[in-house]
Amino acid sequence: MSALKRVQQWATFARIWHLYDAAWQNPFDSAQVIKKHLMGLHKPIYHTMSQCGDVVVVINSADIALPGDEWKKRVYFHHTGYPGGASWTLAWELHEKDPTMVLKKAVYNSMDGNIQRRYTMQRLLIFPDSNVPKDILENISNQLRPLRKVPKRLDHYPEKEVKEFPKIIDYPKDYIVK
Amino acid sequence: MVFTSVVNFVRSRGPDEFWRKRKVFRLAAAFQGRKRNCYSIAIRYVHRALVYATKGRKLKKIDMKNLFETRVQAACEQHNVGYATFREGLVRSDIMLNRKTLADLACWEPYTFKALTDIAQRKAVDDGLLDLKNADSLDSTITRGIITDSVKPK
Repeated sequence: MSALKRVQQWATFARIWHLYDAAWQNPFDSAQVIKKHLMGLHKPIYHTMSQCGDVVVVINSADIALPGDEWKKRVYFHHTGYPGGASWTLAWELHEKDPTMVLKKAVYNSMDGNIQRRYTMQRLLIFPDSNVPKDILENISNQLRPLRKVPKRLDHYPEKEVKEFPKIIDYPKDYIVK
Repeated sequence: MVFTSVVNFVRSRGPDEFWRKRKVFRLAAAFQGRKRNCYSIAIRYVHRALVYATKGRKLKKIDMKNLFETRVQAACEQHNVGYATFREGLVRSDIMLNRKTLADLACWEPYTFKALTDIAQRKAVDDGLLDLKNADSLDSTITRGIITDSVKPK
């Protein structure tokens, strides 16, 4: 193998570190994207038996946005194995306990249950905020495109811009704004 | 019949029980434990293995098809083309390549594959399958349709 071919081989199978900002993203849609990069499904060299998956570092997992009323309706089941050991935790309760768990479970459940799944999950690093250790941060060389735009809240706009925003009508003088 | 040893000569005369069983033991040679030594157990597992082999011939084709599709999809995504658009564009351009060939090209000949995606995209835009914002980037790509359409009397 020539030196060029050898380097080509290294470059082909090099493990890339991707950054994904989960702020205001749907974790179940994001799981499909994250899973694709974790398993290496985005590479034309993909094979189930070859280790071609990348590392994904997810930040701001505390700010994920579940669709509809999923925070109240989605239930996570756990059983200790003992009689009466079943417990059901609502999504918002789980998120309060561990803000990385909802996203982690979404990615875990998006993959087929085989032996490889646990090792693939080891390549997923989730952080609740944007404080990422330096030794991890320096490996990152790519950022995954967020699936949807992060909306800007009304109270984050400057007051002047809100006041000067064009409006169709003025409220009547006796109208009480809640 | 050629006999390599006296033992085989003796065995060849009686009922063919030994040879019948030996055919099964040959198939069970790689099994573990009594599955490979005891005939009544071996025959069950050989039957099962042959059933798996029969089913596997079909499953292998399905598995390979899925693998090729995954690879081609991954390569299409790198060039921002949908898989369905890509295949439809190729068919309409009379480029009849199967999944295996496309996957091989995606893996080993990325520049050739890029050219194929360009052609497919060009054809898809021309036939109104695809509404591209930056279709100008495909202006340098010429498909057979462009030439014949421009020559055709209107």
